[in-house]
Formats: sequence, structure tokens, C-alpha cells
Amino acid sequence: MTSLITPAEHIAATVEAESFLTRGVQKTVLPNGLTVLTKELHDKPVVATILWYRVGSRNEELGQTGKSHFLEHMLFKGTEKYGKGAIDLLTLKNGGSNNAFTWLDFTAYYFTFASDRWQTALEIEADRMRNTLFAEAEFESEKQVVEEELRIGLDGPWEVLENEVWATAFRQHPYHWPTVGWLDDLESATGADMKAYYDKWYHPRNATLVIVGDFNANETLARVESLFGEIPAGPSAQPLRINEPPQRGEKRVVVKKETPVERLLIGFHAPPVAHPDAYTMQVIEAILSTGRSSRLYQRLVERDQSVTSAGANFHDHIDPSLFYFKAELKPGFALKAVEQAIYDEIERLKTEPVAEAELEKARRQMESDLVMSHEEPLQQAMLLGQFETIASDERIPAEARGYHYLDSLIARIRAVTAEEIQHVARQYFIADNRTVGYLVDPQKEQASAAA
Amino acid sequence: MQQPSTQAATRPRLDVERLELPNGLVVLLSENHATPSVAFKAVVAAGSRYETDEQAGLASLVGEMIDEGTTTRNAQQIAETVEAAGGKLGTYGDYQESGVAAMFLSKDLALGLEIAADLLMNATFPEEKVQQQRDRRLAQLKSRLDVPRTLASDIFNDIVFRGTPQHRPAVGLDATVRNLTRDDMVSFYRRFYAPNNTTLVIVGDIDKATARAQVEAAFGAWPRATDLLIPDVPKAALQREAIERYVAAPKEQVNILIGHVGVERCNPDYYALLVLDTILGSSPGFTSRIPRILRDEMGLAYTTYSNITASAGVDPGRFIAYIGTSPDNLTLALDGLRKEIARIVNEPVLRDEVEMAADYLTGSFVFHFQKNLQIADFLADAETYALAFDYLERYPQWIRAVTVEDVSRVARAYIAPDRLTTVVVGPLAESH
Repeated sequence: MTSLITPAEHIAATVEAESFLTRGVQKTVLPNGLTVLTKELHDKPVVATILWYRVGSRNEELGQTGKSHFLEHMLFKGTEKYGKGAIDLLTLKNGGSNNAFTWLDFTAYYFTFASDRWQTALEIEADRMRNTLFAEAEFESEKQVVEEELRIGLDGPWEVLENEVWATAFRQHPYHWPTVGWLDDLESATGADMKAYYDKWYHPRNATLVIVGDFNANETLARVESLFGEIPAGPSAQPLRINEPPQRGEKRVVVKKETPVERLLIGFHAPPVAHPDAYTMQVIEAILSTGRSSRLYQRLVERDQSVTSAGANFHDHIDPSLFYFKAELKPGFALKAVEQAIYDEIERLKTEPVAEAELEKARRQMESDLVMSHEEPLQQAMLLGQFETIASDERIPAEARGYHYLDSLIARIRAVTAEEIQHVARQYFIADNRTVGYLVDPQKEQASAAA
Repeated sequence: MQQPSTQAATRPRLDVERLELPNGLVVLLSENHATPSVAFKAVVAAGSRYETDEQAGLASLVGEMIDEGTTTRNAQQIAETVEAAGGKLGTYGDYQESGVAAMFLSKDLALGLEIAADLLMNATFPEEKVQQQRDRRLAQLKSRLDVPRTLASDIFNDIVFRGTPQHRPAVGLDATVRNLTRDDMVSFYRRFYAPNNTTLVIVGDIDKATARAQVEAAFGAWPRATDLLIPDVPKAALQREAIERYVAAPKEQVNILIGHVGVERCNPDYYALLVLDTILGSSPGFTSRIPRILRDEMGLAYTTYSNITASAGVDPGRFIAYIGTSPDNLTLALDGLRKEIARIVNEPVLRDEVEMAADYLTGSFVFHFQKNLQIADFLADAETYALAFDYLERYPQWIRAVTVEDVSRVARAYIAPDRLTTVVVGPLAESH
């Protein structure tokens, strides 16, 4: 299906999506290195505050995995000023919400409050950046909570397989282990380890504060300055230079777990954030996997009818990560056949140029998603802070570095050509560069072997 | 500490226009120009509550099938048209309602409405698609039970809602889905998908007058159902005694659900129960009793909570307390949940707890109105439950009026600690 749009309409839509996220963003760096992004939005009486630290499981070491995430839990356990439970209680009394998350490259803490009382968030963050307590009793009880969180993952449908595939694909780089860590490492962690890790990474120099919503930026910057300005910059973090060596041949892994349905995961080593090929990868992801008209849906759900769901996933990370394919099989279909069908679709990407209408559809889906998935101040603050945190490397051109990544994103996506898609598919989606994981039920496997 | 307040400035404000087309379609329009996008929902007041046990899964399959082909478009054309515009459109059939939910850039609203109207008026249920979706559903039914909490929830509902359509999952059961035919689907669709059984809510970057004209153009020709017969739905009654069910599953954690039948959304005590929920098991972080004690103090779980208002609908929902924990902690966890449930019934809560819950509920109300689709959900509910137009003003007053005595009274009225159903799913010791 082709849809004709006039050039004027084309440009208007592009400008809208582009300016929507970064319009009005003001970046300030305090003398102690704290980066502050502010964006005033006055259409709703709410303010979202999110504080990002550039530390995640990527910064951990073997034997001490899971520390970044565990530390995130400890930041709710109290300071001298805000005793245990006080942060949540303040959030409750002020009708707000708070939470935090940790992933490979970062840890982030957020609050949302109505705009007449949001500054509580700044006071809490300024305090717990350096004053978190690590009482042994609190540490031990929270360790059990974190271990329960890990077990939830193990009981879920995908996590065990994902862990195996990443651990197999990355043998040197810390993307080898999951953010929650390995259970044995968690069990042996101590409060002293955690304090040392906190002292290494939680400093203004390693942090970005993002504030989006109904507030006055100038007044707020003065307040931020008075709350955070006195905190010492902290040690300058040594850049992590662990490169995963090129993979030299396909890797395969089988995971056995009692399950009513079999699952497949195929990961290809892929470029880091803001790499020229990473934009092409995003367009490929949309062509393969966004919506019911996408290629994988049409092939596997509609034509072969071999899966309940299938998709392609690519996320931006500081270091090269994986572009991966997932499929959940319908009973009676073979993993091998579904794997081959995915390779057929990859082959098509390499050999046939994507038609202009299909490419245009992918671009529009990506553009409109940027608008439609970021209605809330918190969602915008998350996106701005994420790229300020992960796209900071000097290899990235200044106009796409930090949150400016979002300025150029639409233009970069618009510039991706059918030829580049073929080129990138041929370069990355090759057998030697992939890790294939099967999740199978041990009982069914025995039954079929006996049959 | 900052003094909490509910200033008028932070109250949500909605400018809503309600109209009814000659065919009976109720239309609610609300402008929100925060982003150049629009969300809409067409809510058909029909769901699995109108199915028989033998038809379990029918409403849900019908909801999923309406975008699998119409008299003028096949499934792929529907998807291509929506997605070429960068839009998102989903169709569904739940326990209580069915319909279409969508998001588009605001310039594409007319296109989105035209497609939604086509699905609601002209779905054809092609035989090969019926077969395909039925097969896929059968596989999904297996897959969803791979999530232990879902399995526990299904078992819980089967006990607590015995004798009502709520006792089975809205997505159906293997044995019933197998037997559903195209005729069943067409007849459910013809019977319930009618303009005078539907509410259309549009929220976002729209001009109301233009949107009104677009709605009339898209939905005006939908003929009113003259014979709309709404079935009676039996309501669940509170069980007479405690029931326990242990189910073995090869998992890391035991998943525990404790509770019984809950309340309807229109229950006048709903607001007192919101306060009770906030005190007992649903509040930000670990401030309410169950997460504070079982997670933050005892370290038993990552996820633990309780609520009674969250599932309140046209029919009574469920009062439920949940915890997922290691098998070693099973007894501690069971005792801990039961103790907190009994305590809120038998002992008055603290005045401070009531005040803080009210601060939270009134202060956070504004967050229910941030996204277009969220506002659309609220407006659809407002229509379903006849919440008055001054609801946004009244809500803080109702919450503020709740007293310590009210919380005790509703706890005694709606929670029965000696008549709870307990479901445990996971690795179990021999004794169970």
C-alpha cells in the first residue's frame, strides 16, 4: 500500500516530532560536574525528577555481579536525615510516586509530584547521593528481597534463556551477566562491598539530574545549586575499555526448563549507541517487528502460523550489544523450522532492497511512537536522561552527543536507505556472528527421543 | 517536612463534551493539546460476563477477530492502513467490555475513526482466520500458565467466583475454545456490537467541532439495534468457610493468593475502601502495612500487596492479598498475610494512617489524567458507572470525609478473615 504525502506535510511532521522532545531543554553543568537538564512543560500541574548515575552491571566485576542493582535497593534504606521508610512516607504524604531502575549501563531514581510540592524530590536526591547508610541488618534483609526478585525472573518465561544467550555471546565484556547478578555473588555480597561501590560511583561528576514539568527553570537551578553545589565532584571514573573480541563462529546453547511451550532466541553482535549502523538497525527492527504488518508477524504468525508471538529487538547501549530475535512456538512446530524461517527473512533483507513505501511506513511508526510514547513528563525525562547518560562518548559527533542524540534521531532515521539496510544486514546478520538459544522441556525431549 | 495540601491548582481539569448520535452511540470528546496526537476508545458494553461456561473465550476471541477482515478490507490491509500512518490500533474483548483502542497523530484522526467504525460495523470473521486465531489462542492458553502468578490467579477465581462467569478466565479454556465456531462469533458480534451499546471516547489534540463531524461521518450509518437484550449476570456471593488449595509446580517461588469476593465499583463504600487499600496493601513504595512488614521488615518478598478496589467493576471484584516467596518462607508468609488481614478488621487503624492515605489519594489524583488514553479510560468509566460531571471536585471531598471508624466499618463489612480462600502454587513439601 502506498500513501502519498506532499513534501510540505512531510517536513511539518518531521519538525514536530524532533522538536517535541528536546524543545526547551536547558543544560547546565555545575562546577562539581553535576549535569542538569531542565524542561518546562506547563500543560499539566506535575513535575518529574529523575537522577541518573552512569553505573550499571557493565561496571561490575566477576564474583561481585549484581552490585549496581542491589545498591539501588539500598538507596531506599535511609540516611541520617531520612530514616528507613521516610522517603516512601514523604512520597505518600505528598501524593507522589517514586521508584528506581538499573540496567547494563545506568541506575536511575525518579519521583513524580504535583507541581506545588515537587521540591521534596531534590532534597531527597541531594541527601542520598552521599549520605546513604549501610546498616548491616538492613543490608541482610534487603538481600533476601533482591534474591526473591532474581527468582521471579527465573520463574518467568524468558529470563533464563536470555541470560544464557547473553552469557554465551559475551565472554569477556560485562554484558555477559544479567543486571540482577548471579545468585552466588548476591549471597556473598557484604555491606562493606556495597559501601565501597557507592563511594566509587555516586558523585555529581557521574550523575545527570533531569527535571521536566510545571516549574520555573531559573528558580529551580538556583535551588539545585544550593542543594547539590557543595557536594564534592568525586573521583573521575576511569573509562571502561573492555572490548568483546569478534565472534569466530556460531554459538548454540540449549536450556532445559519445564515449560508448556518452547522458545527461541537468536542474538547477533550489534553496534553501540549512535554508531552510524545503529540507526539502520533501528529501522530494520521496525520493518521486521513493529505492528501486524511487519515482516516477522506476516511470516511467522500469519503465513507459517508456527508461533504465538515473534519479534526483533534492538536497544541502544554504551558498548556493542545484541540485536536479537525472539519467538514463542505453537505446540507441534519445530524450533529448527522457525529458526530457518527467521533466517529466510534475514536473507530477504540482504538480497531485496526494501520498497520505499515499506521504509516510509517504518519511519512514520518510529516518529509517531516518539510522540505517542512520551506524553508524560516522566517519560520525557527518562528519555532525555538516558541518552545524556549513555551517548556521552567522544566518538559520537557533538550534534548527536548526550540528549542531542534525540535532536538528530529523526533526521538520521529518515536518512537510512534501502541500500544501507542491505549493507548492514549483510555485515552483521551472519552465522559466525550469532548465538542461538533454544528453551526446551526436558520431559518432552525425553518423550520424543524415546518415540 | 513539607505541608501537603490540595490546592485547586493541582486538581485535574477536564473539559468534556457529551453527545449522543441518533443511533444511540454515546460520544465523549475532550481536548488536550500537550502533544500532536490523539487517543480514542470505542467501548462496547459486552464481554465474557455474557458467555455461558460452554462458550468460555467467545467474547475475547470476537474482540480479537474484528480486525481480521471486514467487508471491504482484509486483515493485512487493516494493519497496513493503520501502520502506514504511524498509528496503533488494538481490539479486545475482556470480562466486562470489548472494543477498539487506538492512538494516532492528530492529523490522522479521521482515518483512525473510519477504520474503527469499519471493524465495529462490518467485521466478517473469515473462516480461515477463525481457525488460525483459535489455534493461536490454544497455544497462548498453554503459554500463559507458564507464569505461576497467572496459574494461581485462575485457580483462585475458579473457587471464589464459583457459579458466575468470573470463575473462568476471559480468554477461555482449552476445552471450550476448541469448540467455538464462526457462527458463535458472528452471533455474539451481531447481538452486542451495536451503537446503542457503545461509548466512543476521543481525547487529545482535536478540535471538538471537527471531531464531531468526523464521528458522524464514520459512525452515523451504524444501525441502532432494536432488539438489544442484555442478559442477567449472576453475582458471586461470599464463601461460607475458609478454603485452601495447594498446587505443585516446578518453580523457584511459591505464589500465594489469599482473599475472597470483593465489591462493585458503584458501592457507596468504594472511597472508604480506597483508603483501606492504601493503608493495608496498595500505596507508593513500602508504606502500606503488607509491603512494609512482609517485604521491608521481614525481607520475605520482592512483590507483595493487597487490594479490593482495583478489581471493582459492574460485578463484584475480588479482595486479594498476594506474595511470591521462597518455599522456605511459606508458613511465615501465610501467617504474615493472614495476620494483617485480621488486624485491619479487628483493630482500629491509626488516625495518622487515615490522614496519610487521604493525602496520598487526593494528592496523586492528578496523575490519573496525564496521558490521552488514560483520560479516555477514565471518561469511559465515568459513563459506565454514571460518575457525575462534578466527580473531579467531589472525589477529594469523599476521600477527606473518610474516618477511622469508616475504615473499621468497611473492613468488617467487606473482609472476612475466617472465610478466606488461600491458593498456593509452586514447589511444595510432601505434607501438602
